[in-house]
Amino acid sequence: MLLQLNNIFKWVNSGGQRVFLLKDINLEVEEGEFISIMGPSGSGKSTLLNVIGMLDAFDEGEYNFMDESVHTLKEKHRANLYKQYIGFVFQAYHLIDELTVYENLEMPLLYKNMKSSERKAVVADMLDRFNIVGKKDLFPTQLSGGQQQLVGVARALIGKPKLILADEPTGNLNSQQGEEIMEIFKQLNSEGVTVIQVTHSEKNAGYGSRIINLLDGRKIEG
Amino acid sequence: MFKNYLKIAWRNLTKNKGYSIINIGGLALGLTVTILIGLWIFDETTYNTNFKNHGHIAQILVNKTNNGETRTRFTLPYPLADELRNTYAGDFEHVVMGSFPGDNILSVEEKNLNEYGAFMEKDALRMFSLHMLKGNHDALNDPNSIVISESTAKAFFGNEDPMGKTMKINNDRNVTVKGVFEELPTNADIFDALRAFTESEKLQFIAPWDLYVASNDWVKTARDRKLWDNNSYQVYVQISDRSSMHAVNDKIKNILYDHVPEGSKQSDPKIFLHPMKDWHLKSSFKNGVSVGGAIQYVRMFGIIGIFVLLLACINFMNLSTARAQKRAKEVGIRKTVGSNKNQLVGQFMFESFVVTLSAFVLAIVLVALLLPLFNQLADKQIVLPFFNPIFWSIGLGLVLATSIMAGSYPALYLSSFRPMKVLKGSLLTGTSAMSFRKALVIIQFTVSIILVVGTVVVNRQIQHTKNQPIGYDKSELIMVEKNTEDFEGKYNSLREALKKTGVVAEMAESSSPLTEIWHSNGGYEWEGKDPSFMTNINSNYVSHDFGKTVGWEMAQGRDFSRDFASDSTAYILNEAAVEYMNLQDPIGKTIRWSDGEHKVIGVVKNLITESPFEPVKQCIYTIRYDETNLINLKLAPSKSPTESLAQIETVFQKFAPSVPFEYQFVDAAFGNKFKTEERMRKLSGIFSFLALFISCLGLFGLATFMAEQRTKEIGIRKVLGASISSLFKMLSKDFAVLILVSGVIAIPVAYYFMEQWLQNYTYRIAIPLWVFGAAILGVLLVAIFTISFQAIRAAKQNPVESLRTE
Repeated sequence: MLLQLNNIFKWVNSGGQRVFLLKDINLEVEEGEFISIMGPSGSGKSTLLNVIGMLDAFDEGEYNFMDESVHTLKEKHRANLYKQYIGFVFQAYHLIDELTVYENLEMPLLYKNMKSSERKAVVADMLDRFNIVGKKDLFPTQLSGGQQQLVGVARALIGKPKLILADEPTGNLNSQQGEEIMEIFKQLNSEGVTVIQVTHSEKNAGYGSRIINLLDGRKIEG
Repeated sequence: MFKNYLKIAWRNLTKNKGYSIINIGGLALGLTVTILIGLWIFDETTYNTNFKNHGHIAQILVNKTNNGETRTRFTLPYPLADELRNTYAGDFEHVVMGSFPGDNILSVEEKNLNEYGAFMEKDALRMFSLHMLKGNHDALNDPNSIVISESTAKAFFGNEDPMGKTMKINNDRNVTVKGVFEELPTNADIFDALRAFTESEKLQFIAPWDLYVASNDWVKTARDRKLWDNNSYQVYVQISDRSSMHAVNDKIKNILYDHVPEGSKQSDPKIFLHPMKDWHLKSSFKNGVSVGGAIQYVRMFGIIGIFVLLLACINFMNLSTARAQKRAKEVGIRKTVGSNKNQLVGQFMFESFVVTLSAFVLAIVLVALLLPLFNQLADKQIVLPFFNPIFWSIGLGLVLATSIMAGSYPALYLSSFRPMKVLKGSLLTGTSAMSFRKALVIIQFTVSIILVVGTVVVNRQIQHTKNQPIGYDKSELIMVEKNTEDFEGKYNSLREALKKTGVVAEMAESSSPLTEIWHSNGGYEWEGKDPSFMTNINSNYVSHDFGKTVGWEMAQGRDFSRDFASDSTAYILNEAAVEYMNLQDPIGKTIRWSDGEHKVIGVVKNLITESPFEPVKQCIYTIRYDETNLINLKLAPSKSPTESLAQIETVFQKFAPSVPFEYQFVDAAFGNKFKTEERMRKLSGIFSFLALFISCLGLFGLATFMAEQRTKEIGIRKVLGASISSLFKMLSKDFAVLILVSGVIAIPVAYYFMEQWLQNYTYRIAIPLWVFGAAILGVLLVAIFTISFQAIRAAKQNPVESLRTE
């Protein structure tokens, strides 16, 4: 088992009232799954993804990730955990505008204290794999949206994560670009990487093996 | 990792050029000021440290108390030196008596030059450890010798070897050059600043003490008759290595009291050591106690330097946090790909270091460019110590300290962002960061307003002092020091010859220059005087034509006149003397002194001869042709001064061919009295300008950011019908409030500091309240002007565009 959520609650206090963002979420994810989280706006999809990605805290419940209980870990430990096993892909790509494609890809490796020669090899390999060698010295703003997301996915993959979390990865792309990205996810999944994506599109959800529907912070069956 | 940081720092700098210019430029200005002030303080505080024994050298000073007022003097009786040498031998390494340093004429054949120096006992060279380029520290053992500075040797002998050459001192005695010493550094002086009425010149020669005794009968008398009450000599000592200034002070304090004749014991003379390290910075005494001196300025400019740097750091903090939103996304990304908070803090600190380092490099260039100007302003000869590793390590320390001071808050602030929040773009500048920035702006403008108020007050104080009547007409008045005997007995013929040229309106002689007082005496008696009152009155010995020459104003009675033979013993008092003696109807009163009775024939309005910031002291003018030291000349108006001076020089050369004709305009000498204050005025003016400028740079950046941030709000308001002027008002109002708050804080602080400063002066202004209002208003206008570009631009923006960006 890759991860397990038990009775997760998350809320904010607004005007004396407790507003639940996540309500009693239970979820088990096995290695190699491809899960799509669906639901209307404000249903808590992104929040759930962020909780899984350890970028957001929760207020109640248990979270075990690869036999570590995340809710008891210190922040630093937690950061080490997701740094090692999780890669993120965002709707808005979130590349650093001041860094080139190459440097954007290199950054996660820097935080892993990888040696320079190894880093070069890994980045080169990734550029090659995504067919963007020719773009390596360009800045994000010089790329199309699809290309930027390609870099975003490559960056998420570069640390060889077990889990890819993608928050509406195709939301800013046209359909053709979107398909390309989804094909890549499918390919990755077949290679053994677990993927969890948030999506509005039934079509994209179709790429996955399982769909989780959320409404008002609750998981609904069916 | 490091390379990555460097890249992103560099790209951020080049991408946001305007922001970088403000940031680096502001910091560079702050650092420039700090470095300049630092160099100046270093120069001031290392004064005299070039002398090997500076920690053990002292000048002996004496406190004398008359009528409840204690004054500190440096003139001591002849036998004191011997007493110290003989009775307290164990405490002193050297005891050296010296004459009053001043200009003396040195001549070689036809060449005569006025050179600054003194006669001193032979140990002087060894005590001051002068660096001898030729000869050695025994060079003054021969009473007919002289040691001269390198430049003096060059002036007289060019490239010839000066050793063994003969010179003449004051057209009187022949001496042989027995040594040449290396020029003293610019921040060194073997004379205590206490005695410097005017700023002293560089030491050019030392002649043997025995020569001084031999050429002056009154010195010989003082020596032979062991006169304990003739105070005309200076005593320098080097205490032995095992004694301390404190211990020696305790031992010697009563020596003078124990030896002076009964009559002089009344003033309770107490001698003490004034250590060499204090000569320059702590040479001001009030009521017998050291009250600092130049050290005040060292402290003040030190504080100003730190504050200007602080202002620049605040700019950095303000702009970095204001721009936080732009960097927030990067923080979020870095955190999601695995950076921890410390690494981000490190990254931002590093960026701050890069900015500071660039600013430092720029500052060094600026310092190098500005140093000549600064030297002129501060009257210094500071050089940038390019090859001194200590300078560079202090510089690096400064860069580190500045980058920490400027960078730590932004680094902590930026690195604490929660990644999901900022990536979702929901980061709005928190109110806490907002109020922190406002507080920083308030600090900046508080400092700026204080400096502006300070500048205005210093200005007014100087103007006030300059505007008071000085009691004579200093225009077209020059003075020539006589220095030699060549002019003795030639008064009338010289005066006639000068007047005949048509360029001299009048000539007179006096014992003191118009801008100083060289003599004061006690022991005056008059009718109605309290017998226990110890008198001390300045005297100026003058010729008949003095009043006419300087244009003094009679308040009562009449001026000296050749028509009355009895005027040769008559007195003219100044108004201060009338008050001092408490004379009801002074004209015709008789004043007795040791040389007989004198009739008061006139009272003149006070002439400001000493400090223009202190009340004029009581002074007696009397006719003594044999006691005069200076020739005062009133030039005829409507003649070109250069031409007049050339003609005057011809006449002087005729009367005293071997005396170099050197003169000083009284106007300029009087102006010198304001030198310290004028310097302070200029420096404080410059510093307040810089402080305001740096603050406005920051304000400009902040306004840019605010206008950007409020684009949407402005768009909505415009759609709803707001006019440009109402928007401008809205945008400016926030800043105006900040500056008014700064003003409120600045008023009491500025008032306190300026009152403290004004305490130094007896003649001082009351700080007018309008100064504060004017300063605040001025700063406010400058600030509004600064933000107006941004505010107007934002207000004029097309709302359709600004709303679309959302």
